[in-house]
Amino acid sequence: MKTRLMKTKWRARLRLWGKKRGGRMSGWWFIGSLGEALFFATVFLIGVFLSAILISWQLMSQSTQPLKIGYGFWLFLGVCLSFSVLGIVGFWYRVLKVVTSDEHREVLAQRGIIPEPLSGAQQPKRTSHAPSIPDVKRFTDSPGARLAYRLPSQIPENGALVALGIFAMAWNAMIAVFLVIAAQNYLRFEIPWQLLLLLIPGIYVAIRSAQLFFRSFIRTLGIGSTTVEIEALPLVPGGEYRLEIVQYGRLVIKKIAVRLECEEESTYHFGTDLRTERQTVFSTEIASHGRDRIDWGYPLRMECRFSVPEDAMHSFQSKHNAVQWKIVVNGEANRWPLYSRSFPVLVYPQPGMSRPAAAS
Amino acid sequence: MPGDTLEFEYRVANVDRGSIVAVECSVCWLTEGKGTEDLGVHFFQRLAGDSLAAIDWSIAQKISCPLPISPLSYEGKLLKISWCVRVRFFLNDGTELMAQQPFYVGTITREV
Repeated sequence: MKTRLMKTKWRARLRLWGKKRGGRMSGWWFIGSLGEALFFATVFLIGVFLSAILISWQLMSQSTQPLKIGYGFWLFLGVCLSFSVLGIVGFWYRVLKVVTSDEHREVLAQRGIIPEPLSGAQQPKRTSHAPSIPDVKRFTDSPGARLAYRLPSQIPENGALVALGIFAMAWNAMIAVFLVIAAQNYLRFEIPWQLLLLLIPGIYVAIRSAQLFFRSFIRTLGIGSTTVEIEALPLVPGGEYRLEIVQYGRLVIKKIAVRLECEEESTYHFGTDLRTERQTVFSTEIASHGRDRIDWGYPLRMECRFSVPEDAMHSFQSKHNAVQWKIVVNGEANRWPLYSRSFPVLVYPQPGMSRPAAAS
Repeated sequence: MPGDTLEFEYRVANVDRGSIVAVECSVCWLTEGKGTEDLGVHFFQRLAGDSLAAIDWSIAQKISCPLPISPLSYEGKLLKISWCVRVRFFLNDGTELMAQQPFYVGTITREV
């Protein structure tokens, strides 16, 4: 029994190839930290050593220059210096992790690379009026035509469309080059069978990707853009606001609904993967419109009023977690798939909160 | 309440005063939940060397600091934001003693 316990203990300490899940250190903390610090110290020393050898060879023995001053020399020097920088940054980061507390490290990080001497109380640097709330300037830099501000749009399909476009272009360009090579060989009376075998699935992927891209592009163009204007920003809990939604395009709308949503977002490590999870914690319909026809020059305009709940959490943004508020426009049109467009808004804490604090 | 001044005091007992190398006192918020934990330090004080020697540990150390307007304490589905006062004592044998006292900023805000 004792032997098995010892084996398990040592297996946990010497786990080299096991996949680590989550951010928690499950091995021997001391050995892990020491190993990381030694690794980065070694990387730094290798970088310095190789840089020194390279520079001394170049300067001291002109006759036996190992590398000509040119692309090769500068590339090699760049690699050596990047080793040194990577090593020194990694080493000091590991050392600071061991010798300073989490709070002290956070204060040092806020103050910059070169720490000022610590004496007495420190109020860490603040970048905005409301800490950990995104800057309101990003939301108010676009004035509206009827109301004060036009909200920036966040359309997830646009990112996919750009990525698909880049892929389709790159793939088609590559296939075109291979086609030219195959044609040249054919004209020289050589049939490149291996290349032809590779080109058949390649051409299929090229056609499908281009087809998919143009279908998405037409869908984006056909539905038309959506704009949302709001009378005031930032919003505060309990406040009531006017909103105007304009849907452009040339289509028959079956239904269009506008919602106010609050979403929590958390990013975490799962082994070597970085994952983001989102959950909607509040959603309420603030306006809707039934069947209607939209044409070029005659967009659909909707005006409504909405209020933010009194006990709502304010917008929040930290390195790995966020609370985001947004206006979501969901639409359904004839001959088009369902679409959804979101427009982030900023909610500040209620000014002059005077409710009693709960006891800890 | 956000914007109010937080006043608190701390003292140490059953520890040889000569063995204390440094003391860190901080007011901070931290996130808990599914995501990686984030930490924000609102107030930080480190006492070491001469400033530490001048302290009379027989009386409680009083600290006051104004609280910011955000982030408010929050209990959501994926994340929780909590505030606390943390005091760390670093002893000359490498031992680290840590005590923390949670408190709320604002009323606790749950997901609506």
